[in-house]
Amino acid sequence: MSGAETTPNLTGGPDAGTPRKPNFIVRLWRWFMGIPLVRVALSPTTTFSLAFLTLGGFVSGVIFWGGFNTVLEATNRTEFCVGCHEMKNNVFEELQGTIHFANRSGVRAGCPDCHVPHNWTDKIARKMQASKEVWGHIFGSIATREDFLGLRRHMAEREWARMSANNSLECRNCHTTEAMDLTKQNPRAAAAHERFLFTGDRTCIDCHKGIAHRLPDMTGVPGWH
Amino acid sequence: MRPRLLITVMVAACLGAGALLAQDAPRLRGPEPFTQEQAAPPMQRAVTNDVRVRRNYPDQPPLIPHAVEGYALDLNANKCMSCHARRFTEQSQAPMISVTHYQDREGNTLGGLAPRRYACMACHVPQTEARPLVENRFIDMDVLTEPERHPGGRSNR
Amino acid sequence: MDLSRRDVMKAQAAAAAAAAANVALPAQAQNINVGDELRLKWDKAPCRFCGTGCGVMVGVKDGRVVATHGDMRAEVNRGLNCVKGYFLSKIMYGADRLTRPLMRMRNGRFDKEGELQPVSWDAAFDTMAAHWKKILREKGPEAIGMFGSGQWTMFEGYAASKLMRAGFRSNNLDPNARHCMASAAVTFIRTFGSDEPMGCYDDFENADAFVLWGSNMAEMHPILWTRITDRRLSREHVRIHTLSTYEHRTTDLSDAGLIFKPGSDLAILNYIANHIIRTGAVNREFVEKHVNFRLANTDIGYGLRPDHTLELRAQHANDAAVSHASDFDAYARLMSEYTLDRAHELSGVPKSQLEALARLYADPKTKVMSLWTMGFNQHVRGVWANHMIYNIHLLTGKISEPGNGPFSLTGQPSACGTAREVGCFAHRLPADMQVANPDHRKLVEEIWKLPSGLLPAKVGYHAVQQDRMLKDGKLNAYWIMCNNNLQTAPNTNNETYPGYRNPANLIVCSDPYPTVTAMAADIVLPTAMWVEKEGAYGNAERRTQFWRQLVDAPGEARSDLWQLMEFSKRFTTDEVWPAEILAASPEYRGKTLFDVIFRNGQVDSFPLSELSPAHNNQEAKHFGFYVQKGIWEEYIRCGAGHGHDYAPFDTYHEARGLRWPFVDGKETRWRYREGHDPYVEKGSGIQFYGNPDKRANLIGAPYEPPAETPDADYDMWLVTGRVLEHWHSGSMTLRVPELYKAFPGAVLFMHPEDAQRRGLHRGQEVRIVSRRGEIRSRVEIRGRNRMPRGVVFVPFFDASQLINKVTLDATDPISKQTDYKKCAVKIVALTTPASAPRPTAPDVRGAPR
Repeated sequence: MSGAETTPNLTGGPDAGTPRKPNFIVRLWRWFMGIPLVRVALSPTTTFSLAFLTLGGFVSGVIFWGGFNTVLEATNRTEFCVGCHEMKNNVFEELQGTIHFANRSGVRAGCPDCHVPHNWTDKIARKMQASKEVWGHIFGSIATREDFLGLRRHMAEREWARMSANNSLECRNCHTTEAMDLTKQNPRAAAAHERFLFTGDRTCIDCHKGIAHRLPDMTGVPGWH
Repeated sequence: MRPRLLITVMVAACLGAGALLAQDAPRLRGPEPFTQEQAAPPMQRAVTNDVRVRRNYPDQPPLIPHAVEGYALDLNANKCMSCHARRFTEQSQAPMISVTHYQDREGNTLGGLAPRRYACMACHVPQTEARPLVENRFIDMDVLTEPERHPGGRSNR
Repeated sequence: MDLSRRDVMKAQAAAAAAAAANVALPAQAQNINVGDELRLKWDKAPCRFCGTGCGVMVGVKDGRVVATHGDMRAEVNRGLNCVKGYFLSKIMYGADRLTRPLMRMRNGRFDKEGELQPVSWDAAFDTMAAHWKKILREKGPEAIGMFGSGQWTMFEGYAASKLMRAGFRSNNLDPNARHCMASAAVTFIRTFGSDEPMGCYDDFENADAFVLWGSNMAEMHPILWTRITDRRLSREHVRIHTLSTYEHRTTDLSDAGLIFKPGSDLAILNYIANHIIRTGAVNREFVEKHVNFRLANTDIGYGLRPDHTLELRAQHANDAAVSHASDFDAYARLMSEYTLDRAHELSGVPKSQLEALARLYADPKTKVMSLWTMGFNQHVRGVWANHMIYNIHLLTGKISEPGNGPFSLTGQPSACGTAREVGCFAHRLPADMQVANPDHRKLVEEIWKLPSGLLPAKVGYHAVQQDRMLKDGKLNAYWIMCNNNLQTAPNTNNETYPGYRNPANLIVCSDPYPTVTAMAADIVLPTAMWVEKEGAYGNAERRTQFWRQLVDAPGEARSDLWQLMEFSKRFTTDEVWPAEILAASPEYRGKTLFDVIFRNGQVDSFPLSELSPAHNNQEAKHFGFYVQKGIWEEYIRCGAGHGHDYAPFDTYHEARGLRWPFVDGKETRWRYREGHDPYVEKGSGIQFYGNPDKRANLIGAPYEPPAETPDADYDMWLVTGRVLEHWHSGSMTLRVPELYKAFPGAVLFMHPEDAQRRGLHRGQEVRIVSRRGEIRSRVEIRGRNRMPRGVVFVPFFDASQLINKVTLDATDPISKQTDYKKCAVKIVALTTPASAPRPTAPDVRGAPR
C-alpha cells in the first residue's frame, strides 16, 4: 500500500470539487505512511516463510501475554506493595500486628488479598486505578506519617465504599457465609452473624472495620460512637 | 550449693496444704535456687466465652468476657463503645456502660460517656485461661451477711 | 476461716454486747438477718499501689475487708480507681500469707545453710540481735545496713531512720525509691534547694498541653491519665505529646507520639532549649530575676564498680555532681550545638514532630505541663535529664503557676512521704536536711533528744552499693523491709544474690508474702500490710494521707513499725554507742535503744485514750502509747518553719489528704508563687526560697551516650518496666486471681520483623541474653506495646522470668539511680533446628494467589 500520493480527498464530501488543503488527520496519516520503515513493515515479506511468521507470531504472543501476566502477578504481591515506603511504613507496619498477618493456622492475607479484586476485569480496572498511586509515589503525596494520617480517612472511606459495593467480595474470597460453622464461633459473634450477616442485613465491612489497619477518625461513621 | 527451700514446709507449717499450685510457684517465688535457669511458661489463651463473671463486690468493674485484641482505643475511635454505648446496646445486646460513666469529675451528669472514662481498659480487663497461682481467701460479703445461704462460699477463682 | 467458728464468735459478741447493755437477748435473734446484718463499716484509705495516691473507701464486715471503691470525696481521683485499685480488697488474702517468722534451721539451731522453718518472734529477734551485736563489735556500724521502701508508712520510715542513724549510728539506710525516683529527688534539691514538685494535680485541669517524657501514664498512672484525657477530650485546643522509645496505650491517646532512640531524649531536650533561645522565646525578665546559670561537669561515668573500664576512662567519675557557675551566653553556646538536624539524627524523630514540640514550649501563650517518671529517672543521665526539663521551664518562666510546670510523677505510694520527706535515703535526714551538713545533724539531734555528735556524718551505701558491699563482705547485717529487691535490683545473678548467700552475712526480709527475696533470706518476718495497720502515705503532689487500722493482720504477722520498735528493745546504748558520747552524756547509759528513740518523752507522749474508739491499733496497744501520733508530732517539728509544715495528727484522719506546706490551716497548691505559697515574700512574685539566694539553678549539660549500646553481638535494646495489671514485682497483684488472669506472665514485646528475621513466632520460647546473664521468655508481637525495630520490652513482675538477671547495674553517677531502660541483649530461639534455613530478610509474602 502506498496511498500517500493516491488519496487526495479522504475527508472530502460530495461538494469537494475544489482542491483544498487536507485536514490535520489526513496529513498525519500521510506522514506516517510515508516513513520508509513503516512502508517496509507494511510490505509483504520476501525473506520469511509463512510458517515462520505464523509460529513466530504465536510465540511472540505467548511471550507478550506471559510477560503481561507476570508483570500483573508481580505487582500483585505484598512484596511489590511494600516496596514503596508509604505502604511499608504505614499500612504494612500496622498489618503486622494483626490476625491477618499471623494466626493459628498460618494462613496469611497479604495486601492484594483484600485490596485487589480476583476476577480479571475488576483486577485490571483496579490496576489502572493504581496508576494514580504510582503518580502519588513519584510526586510524594505521602512523604511523611503526618501526610498519611491526614489522608487516612479519605483512603479508608474509599475502601469501605468499594467493599460495601461489592458485598465485601474480598473478605468472602476466604470467609464465605456458606462455610461458617456457628458452633465454632464465640456466642457473641455467632449471634451477630445469624442476625445481621445471614439475613443480608449487613455485609462484612459494615462491622469489621479497622481489622488489618488502624482506624481513621471515626466521627460520623455509622455504628461508631 | 545451698539447700532447697521447701515450699512444702512453708505451706504445711504456715498456710495449710493445697494453697499453692506448685507448678506455677516460680511465677511468685522465682526459681530454686535463684540462679537456676527457668523455663518460660506458655502464653495463655484469652477467655472469649461471653459468660458474665460475678463481681466480688458491687463496685468492682465487670471483667471483659470476650476478646479485645486489636480493639481501637485511641483518639480516632473507641471500639468498646460500638457495642456498650447506650444507643448500640439493643443491636449488640451488650451491657450498657453504667450510669456512673456519665458523670464528670464535678459530679454533673453528662449526655454521654464522660471523657474521664474514655480509657475503658484502665478498669475493665479481659481474662486469660490461666489458672490462679495461689488460692485467694477473700470472703464474699454475702457469706458474711447471709451466712446460712452460702455454705462455704468463698471467692477463690 | 471456718464459718461455724465465726458464727460462734458473732453470737458471743452479740451476747457480750447484750450483757453490757443489760438487755435480754431473744432466743435465736442472732440468726435473723436484719438491717444491721447488711451494714458494712466504711473507712477511707489511700490506695496501696502507685504514687498517684487515689483515695479508696474500704468496706469491712466481721474483721474482713469485703469491698473497696473509689472515694468520691478524694480530690485526686473523685471516685475512680484503676483495675488494681478496684481489687485492693483481695490483696491481703492470698493463701500463702506469712503468719509466723521463719528461720533457716538445721538440727534445731540457726544455720545459714539450713531450711526455712517456723520459729517464734523471740527466736528470730534473738538470732538477729546476736548477729547485729557481733558485727557492730567486730566491724562497726558501717557493716550494718537496711533496705527500706517508698511503701513504708511515714511512721515506719521515720522509726527506721531513727533506729539506723541514731540507734546503730549507720547511714546505710536506703529505700527502694532509689531505683525509682532518686534522679528526680536529687535534681529538685540541686535546682530549687527543696525536694518535690512546685505544682500539683490541679495543673491537669489548667494546662493547654501535656508533654510526657518517657512516661506510659495510661498504664502506670491510669487515674492521673483520666484527668489528662478528660482535659484533652473536653477542650478542643488541648494537645498531648508523648515521647517514648516505643508505642503504647499512652501514645494511642496522644496527638503526637515521638519515638526516639534510647538515651537521645537528652539531645531532644537541648534542642528545645536551643530553639527557645534562637527564636527569642526566652523570658528575659524571669531569667534575670530568678535564675542562676551553671554548667555541669561532663564525662561523668556510669556508676558502675570503680574498677570498670568505663569508670576508669571517665574524666569526672569521682566529681560527677559538681557544677560550675556560668552565664546565659555560655549556656546558649552549649545549647547551640543541638540543632534540629542533630536532634533528629541522634533521636530518629521526624523533624516536623521535634519542631512542633519545641514550638509548644516556646509559645508564651501555651501552658505546658511536663510529666515524667521512670523513663527519665532510670537513666544513666537521669539528673541531667531532670535538669534539662527544668531548664526549658525556667527559660520560658513556665513554672509554679496553674497549668504551667514540670511535674515529676512517682511510682510508689509514699516515695515522697516516706523515702523523701521523712528522709530514708543514705544521704538524707527529715525535711530536706542532709546527713553531711553538721547544722542539719545538730538540729535533728536536738529534736530527737539525742546526745550531741551522735548522728554519723558519713553518707551511707546507696541501694546498688549495698548489694555490692554485701557481695564483697563489707556489709554483713542486712534487713530488707517492704520490698522485693532480689527481683528488682539490677544484674541480680552477679551483684545481688551472691551477697545474700555470702556466709558472712545475715539477711533478714520482712514481707507479707514469700517473695523471691524472702526465699533467699535467712530470716523471714511476717508483716502486716496496708489497712492492717494505721498509716500515712505522701503522694506525688505533696499530699499526705492517713488511714486507720481497719482489720487485724493474720496470725503473728506484725507491722514493720512494730518490728523496728520491738527489735530496738534488744540493744542498750552501752552496746552500740561510742564510750566518749556516753561519757559526755552519762544520762543515756544503761538505756535500751527503745528507751532513747521511742520512749523519749515525745514519741510516747500520747496515751491510748486518744485512739479512735472505733478502730484497733495493734502497735499502740502493744507498746502502751499512741505510737503513730507520737512519731508524727515529733517528726513535723523537723520541717516546721522552713517550708515543710504539716498539719497536726488528727487533722489528717479527717481530711482527704492535705498538701504541704500546710500553714495557718491552709494547704499549698503552687509553691514559690506569691499568692499561693505563704513563704514567698509580698511583691516578689516568685521566690525559689529553697536556695539561700532564692533563685533556681539552671544547670546546662550535654548529650552523652548510654553505658551500653547494641552492637554486632548484642544487637537489641532492652527496656524493662511494668504493666497496668501488676504492680512492681507482683507480690500483691499476682495473688489476686482476676489481675493474674488478666496478664498472667511476662512476655518479650518485639517488632514482628525483628521476630521474623530470627525465625521467631508469636508465643515461641526464646532466650534473652546479655553480657550479664540470660532468661527465657515468650515472643509477643501484638498487644498493647508496639516496638520499633531494634528495641524489646520485658516487664519485671514475673518471678519465673527474672529479667533483672539480664539488666546492667549502671546508675546515674549523681543520683545513683539504676538505668533499667537501656542495655544491649540478643534474642535467640530456645530450640534452633540445625538444618533449617534462616531467612535473612523479613518475609513479607502474602498468601499464594
